[in-house]
Amino acid sequence: MPKFSQQVILGMAYAVVAAIVSGMYYSGALGAGLVSAGITLPADVASFSIVALLAAAAIFMNASPLVVLSAGTFFGFFVLSVHQEEPLVRYLCLGAVLFSIGMYGMVASRNAVRVLMSIELMLNAVNINLVAFARYVDPSEVKGQVFAIFILTVAAAEAAVGLAIVLAMYRNTATVDMEQFNLLKW
Amino acid sequence: MGNASEIFKFTRLSIIWLCLIFIPVWLVAYAVGIFIPYFLIKDQQNIFFDVFQALVPIIAVLVFIPINAMFMVLFERRGLALFTVRSGPNRVGVDGLLQTAADAVKLLFKEDITPRGADIAMFTLAPITFFAPSVFAAIPLLAAVTNDHPLFHIVNLPTGIFYVLAASSVPVVGIVMGGWASNNKYSLVGGLRSAAQAISYEIPLVLSLVSMCMMAKSLDVVQIANQQAGGILDWNIFGGGALRGIDKFIALNLVGNTIDAKTILDAAYPSGILSYIAAGVLIVCSVIMFLLYLTGACAEINRIPFDLPEAESELVSGYNTEYSGIKFAIFFLAEFTNLFIVSSIAVVMFMGGGGNPIPAWLLDPWWPSFASSVGPMFDLVTAKGLMLVDEHTFFPALWVIAKTYAFVFFAVLIRGTLPRFRIDQLMDFGWKRLIPLSLIVFLVMAFARVLVNVHLVMPAGGAP
Amino acid sequence: MENLANLAEINAASIETWMFYVLAALAIPFAYGVILDKAIIRSGFLLIGVFGAISGLFLILQAQFIAMAQIMIYAVGITLVVVIALMLTNPRMDLDLKPAAGNSKLTGFVVSFVLFAVIYLAIRSDAWPIKGELPAASNVAVIGQAITGQYSLPFEFASVLLLAALMGAIMLAKNEPVEPEILEYSEASGAASDAEAEALTTAR
Repeated sequence: MPKFSQQVILGMAYAVVAAIVSGMYYSGALGAGLVSAGITLPADVASFSIVALLAAAAIFMNASPLVVLSAGTFFGFFVLSVHQEEPLVRYLCLGAVLFSIGMYGMVASRNAVRVLMSIELMLNAVNINLVAFARYVDPSEVKGQVFAIFILTVAAAEAAVGLAIVLAMYRNTATVDMEQFNLLKW
Repeated sequence: MGNASEIFKFTRLSIIWLCLIFIPVWLVAYAVGIFIPYFLIKDQQNIFFDVFQALVPIIAVLVFIPINAMFMVLFERRGLALFTVRSGPNRVGVDGLLQTAADAVKLLFKEDITPRGADIAMFTLAPITFFAPSVFAAIPLLAAVTNDHPLFHIVNLPTGIFYVLAASSVPVVGIVMGGWASNNKYSLVGGLRSAAQAISYEIPLVLSLVSMCMMAKSLDVVQIANQQAGGILDWNIFGGGALRGIDKFIALNLVGNTIDAKTILDAAYPSGILSYIAAGVLIVCSVIMFLLYLTGACAEINRIPFDLPEAESELVSGYNTEYSGIKFAIFFLAEFTNLFIVSSIAVVMFMGGGGNPIPAWLLDPWWPSFASSVGPMFDLVTAKGLMLVDEHTFFPALWVIAKTYAFVFFAVLIRGTLPRFRIDQLMDFGWKRLIPLSLIVFLVMAFARVLVNVHLVMPAGGAP
Repeated sequence: MENLANLAEINAASIETWMFYVLAALAIPFAYGVILDKAIIRSGFLLIGVFGAISGLFLILQAQFIAMAQIMIYAVGITLVVVIALMLTNPRMDLDLKPAAGNSKLTGFVVSFVLFAVIYLAIRSDAWPIKGELPAASNVAVIGQAITGQYSLPFEFASVLLLAALMGAIMLAKNEPVEPEILEYSEASGAASDAEAEALTTAR
């Protein structure tokens, strides 16, 4: 039986609460409650802000950020997309979520290889969008899939060259810290 | 022939096994696919009726793989013993048939040790990542093996061979993962070697299979296997069906038919002498591609002479140094399963799938009547017109298993014969020899294919 | 055996929806693991989880070819290259690094959240021209014709790009001392090629 630290247990508690909130939103109970309480906010915005505020509170109470962010993002994404009429919107939302996660990783990481991994993540998020468009907007000619193939090739080339550059830099400077890569600074 | 009696025992063991392997798979497929839906549920509108029938392929694979791997271990040990003039394991059961079962029981009861400093989650996940893809890779092949039987029709994917390739490229991730998570320098080096080797040898492997898909104009394994039906001259290893015209020409002269010879030869070889030259080129290129496939496959599944990731003398068995108990058993099982899957891909793509090696025009006088009289003997219980073992399913399955074991025997022979490569020789051989060779041969095949009508299908009107 | 075909039709839309959310619930935590995990090699392996979940999404979207290519190229090829690069650089370094400056994390969070808000509002702002028809069961032939017909020029460019990237990566990652080679070269080839050797040295 693996032992979980207190941070992880707190994060899981947050995940359970967020799941209950989004379940209430999915079944319509939350919307009905809002109406009976006299609040005019749309139900999805209200439940999204509840999930986000709870996440901020959990982070403030020193819960594990990995668990809290994962659960918060998933349930926030769930309430924003589950009652949309078009399935396409769900895929585009997931693409946006993964793209934003990749963007955060790219801006905030210090390890150059992790920056490259974040870029791969963003390229994949774009691929989700293209394939979803091919399925729902252009099902006969699937041009989106052709674009996705080109993105695959470009991503492969980018990974090879990018990692080779990182290796060359590591050989010269003995570090992969992005903030030490300042040879061109003046 | 000092060990003629050993050869006899080995052959006897293999034949007994070939007969035995069908029984458990047949029983399970019958129980899940026919007995439960038709005799217990009965209501065809019930959702579980369909669910059980859809589960047949995966359950058949899950039953087949462990039993088969157990025999393959014995096959390999007895085969190696044969080449080194020893007896091999022959005490447990008939001719040592239960030796591997005993070994498996011993492994399962061993203590499962996790080394200090290992990443426990990754350490546990690595054997699973190594084993699970091979189960997935086996599933579409099942449709080709059983000749598209209705119960297995659900796994007949339109992009079959690409799916198999994608699934069988995943296990190397498990090796790297296990090598890193073990917190052991030897394991790490083994994992890294395996990754480098798999990436370099995947290119000739994929190119050789793609060239056969180019011949067949299809990615569907069932279609590719069925195109090669009709004897050894139609197999993909001999020019991807470039000999089909000659085959029909011979058949015409032997059997006699209404179409004259010139029509057939013109339909198969439209550009005269150039076409005959192109057919010859196709045959040479296909044989080269087949050899490239064998080399790439050996490297992909880490068999000798490419077993650098687990070289005992250098790396104390590499990535699985730290594994013991059931995790080691899973690694072992997956290794043999991968060997079997790679061999069955070779059979389906190059060696005619479930087809008979004897040309169809020799068999036509007596084989169909024989098959249709023998086939139902295996099908003791028929249910609602669903025959799990009939002549369209049983004989192709038998041929595929027999041919696949021929490949496994070849792999054992290589293991008993060749020494191991050095890592720099391996990389040089891969990047400087195999990849350029495969690219050039692929280009030549693409040009030669235009001149020959491969896998000739005669218009209706009575060609053999 | 027509019943097997019926299986796919039973409430296909809702099964698809729930499969989508299960795969999303896999992909999002894995993606966070990739960018937040302390042991960077583990985050390299978690990348495989993200790519696998996304390839499952492609399967739901009837794009079998892209799903398989995703597994082969991303989940195995690129991830292995990333993991090998991580092992060649110093993987323990991430643990030794000083925690990143606070404003870098804050900037990242604000940027990505605003980005998500903008994209989400853009998605919701307009109706999409959805076509109801179902795609063909196998669209490999359609993709192949598009690549070799209408998009043959980009396809050729992509192959040239791959070749250039291959050679460039080999040149960048090659670790050979250049100095002795040039000395040998100029000695062996005599006075006539001294100028060349000099040019090589200057170019370095």
